[in-house]
Amino acid sequence: MTTLLHAKDVTFSFGSTPALRGANIEVAAGEIVAVMGPSGSGKSTLLHCLAGILVPAGGEIVFDGARIDSLSEARRSQLRRDSFGFVFQFGQLVPELTAAENVALPLMLGGVRRAAALRTAYGRFEGLGLDGLGGRRSGELSGGQAQRVALARAMVSEPRVLFADEPTGALDSVTGEQVMDLLVDTARRQGTTVVLVTHEPRIAAYADREVMVRDGRVTAWEGAVA
Amino acid sequence: MIRFSLRLAVAGGREAVTRLVVIAAAVAVGAGLLLATLAGVNAVNDQLTRFAALYPQSAAAGGAAQPLWWSTREDYFHGEPIVRIDVAATGPASPVPPGLPRTPGAGEYYVSPALQRLLEDTPADQLADRYPGRNAGLIGDVALPSPDSRVLITGGNPADVADLPQARALTSVGDNPPALPETAVDLIMSVIVAGLLFPVLIFIGTATRLNAARREQRFAAMRLVGATPRQISVVAAIEAAAAALAGTAVGFLLFAAFRGSLAGIPFTGDRFFADSISLGALDVLLVAVGVPAGAAAAAALSLHRVRVSPLGISRRTTPRPPRWYRLIPLGLGLAELAFFLVGPMPRTSDGQMAVFVPGLLLVMAGLLVAGPLLTMASARILARRSTGPATLIAARRLADNPKAAFRAISGIMLALFITSVATGVITTIVANRGSAPAGTTGSATVALWAFEGKTLPTGALERVRAVPGVRSVTELRENPDEHADPGLVACAELPAAYGRCAPGATVAQVATDFIPWQAKSADPARVWPASAVPVGELGRLPLESVVVQTDGSAAAIERSRTVLETAFPGFRIAPSVPGDFESDFADTLRGWQQLANVVIVAGLAIAGCSLAVSVIGGLTERKRPFSLLRLSGAPVRVLRRVVALESAVPMLVAAAFAVGMGLLAAQLFLKAQMGYTLEPLSPAFWLIVAAGLVACLAIIASTLPLLERITGPETARSE
Repeated sequence: MTTLLHAKDVTFSFGSTPALRGANIEVAAGEIVAVMGPSGSGKSTLLHCLAGILVPAGGEIVFDGARIDSLSEARRSQLRRDSFGFVFQFGQLVPELTAAENVALPLMLGGVRRAAALRTAYGRFEGLGLDGLGGRRSGELSGGQAQRVALARAMVSEPRVLFADEPTGALDSVTGEQVMDLLVDTARRQGTTVVLVTHEPRIAAYADREVMVRDGRVTAWEGAVA
Repeated sequence: MIRFSLRLAVAGGREAVTRLVVIAAAVAVGAGLLLATLAGVNAVNDQLTRFAALYPQSAAAGGAAQPLWWSTREDYFHGEPIVRIDVAATGPASPVPPGLPRTPGAGEYYVSPALQRLLEDTPADQLADRYPGRNAGLIGDVALPSPDSRVLITGGNPADVADLPQARALTSVGDNPPALPETAVDLIMSVIVAGLLFPVLIFIGTATRLNAARREQRFAAMRLVGATPRQISVVAAIEAAAAALAGTAVGFLLFAAFRGSLAGIPFTGDRFFADSISLGALDVLLVAVGVPAGAAAAAALSLHRVRVSPLGISRRTTPRPPRWYRLIPLGLGLAELAFFLVGPMPRTSDGQMAVFVPGLLLVMAGLLVAGPLLTMASARILARRSTGPATLIAARRLADNPKAAFRAISGIMLALFITSVATGVITTIVANRGSAPAGTTGSATVALWAFEGKTLPTGALERVRAVPGVRSVTELRENPDEHADPGLVACAELPAAYGRCAPGATVAQVATDFIPWQAKSADPARVWPASAVPVGELGRLPLESVVVQTDGSAAAIERSRTVLETAFPGFRIAPSVPGDFESDFADTLRGWQQLANVVIVAGLAIAGCSLAVSVIGGLTERKRPFSLLRLSGAPVRVLRRVVALESAVPMLVAAAFAVGMGLLAAQLFLKAQMGYTLEPLSPAFWLIVAAGLVACLAIIASTLPLLERITGPETARSE
């Protein structure tokens, strides 16, 4: 397997508080990696650096052989739009839009016309158990349904990497497992690499590999993949 | 509870204090504008009352009264009015005219400061010679409508003044001005006040709801520890009232600081005296108590739309969309205005105003009621036609809660409607009844009439003919035929510039100043009908008028006017250029236009501030989804477009609708009351509207940097 995403000696601080102190991680194409760690360990910061949301103070982030930490904000935004997908804990759906329109949103942002984007979005609903929910607003969806819509939205543009930050953190265990099943299935089917941040071992168990972040370092890093 | 609520309001750290300061600042601006509006209304009323006092009514004389004879007439200089008051005391107990240390004796006069300046700057043969005698000093402010008023109070013998037109015997002065046309004035003022106050109230209301989401989270936490919904309402009300109270206090200070500058704004066409910009006890009470109380009520009411439970906030389901019946008041208002196109018309001006202005108020109310429906309809059309994500999000938000979207722009709608009506009516009346076009014979003609059986002294006409620039002086005689033009002139004496006689005629029937009623100017091609009166009989008929044709220069006109006035000081109507009255009337209308411009500028500025606060509120509410969209790669420009469209689309639609309705209302009024057709509005109007809207858009744009700041990655992390 080839390395798709690579963090090398990444450091990052919030003011005078260091969050990452030389973190290293490699993620192979198609791999699902769970990033675990206690609260405040720096796991979300590491995800944000890997996704080009935050720019590390030191070290490098390499995606598909090219450094992304030195790109402009506009280029990183474009990269996130074109190559990455995101699922967060909650509150990511635009409340004014229906579920289908939320899913179609990344396609429309990429220039696809509304009707075509909506057709594609509805095509995603079947496999995610969202049949008949396309016309509902986020306020009319349960937590699990909203996360499945968020997953559909993250995957609709077939990203190369899906970043999931505590995607089941706001769900009960049964619903959380359903969402994870769908996430893993979809990623496997599309060949999408997944970086999954969680503090729950039960959720981390869905991953091919687990790494542990402590005090801003990846302590249980298993080395470069083959 | 109050102390606890106040402690809570500031206990949220810097953010809570900042929010309170922002609300207080917004309320301060709003309260300041509210006070300025109320004081402005008082000032306009005061100015009108002072003006009416120049035309006092006779009071019932007491047994031992020594009345003051008083006659008010209007004179003109360069088309601007000069109020001339002749007075004469009949004994030592006669009342003294207000603003004077004593009643001027015969051969003395007092002038207002503005007239004094004019007298000093103008050659005497053009103005000062009209007032023979000694200038005894200045008239005090108390007797003047405005610092710009040109007023002269001249003394005379009781017998002479008693013989003047409009002479009245007064046993007291200053307490018996004619009643203002209260209905009309009050109704006009109510329209203006509505146009100004409504945006201010909306602004204050919007400001108190600022950052409601954060506040509601805090309330949820309080519910978790046992606070009842009633206690939450009380806390919300006290918090809003505290900020509004502080803001109102600052508003009073702002008003005090800018009161003097306000007096210098001639929003009726004339400046005001500083003490006219005043507040009554009721005004003070209304603002000092009403604003904080209103803010408290608005805060408590705003919680009705959310369910604050111990587990958090849930907004009630999407508000019910506005229904078609919201159009009824608007339809009724327009129908009321249209009714007078076919129905019976009140005979008096007051009566006409009394039916027109309520119709106008009904249309205004109708616009406010129909506004959300209009917003929803335009949003739905936009949503259907949208192809991009920004338009879709914006349109959906507008369609979801059109009432909230419309609230921020309702002030703009009202301000534009009022201004469009005023400008449409004023432009059309001025176009139809303005002064004669410059450079025409009409604008170069001075006429003196209403001799009422009297004649000019010998040699007066020669003195007028001797004025440089005078081309002809013609005497017209009264036409015994009451159904024809009122003047008669021998065809041999009819100046060619004013037309010619019908073939074979020796005497022509002509208009008093050779310009027929409603004609714009004199016409050399005009053919005047023949009269049966023989030319030899003309000299025996009473004098109808004296018409002076000049070269059109201001000096020739004013010199002629001065000679005529000096020759005939008992004139009822001062020698005038055709259009002086109309021009004076048009000036009054332009004063109202000025007021309308104030409404639009102030209304749009305030509404722009409301929009800005509303945009900030909307951004704060959607901080998380917007910041997560940005994290996912949505360009900031897409979010910027969302915010811009959400504000700009309803604003522009409302503006277009308001102007359209305003012009329609103006046309209905003009057609029904005067038989005029609406004239095209001047480019200045469209420029002011465009500038106002651009300013609003700029205010919206000024909030956009906030979007970038509050949707940064940190937001997603910390929320």
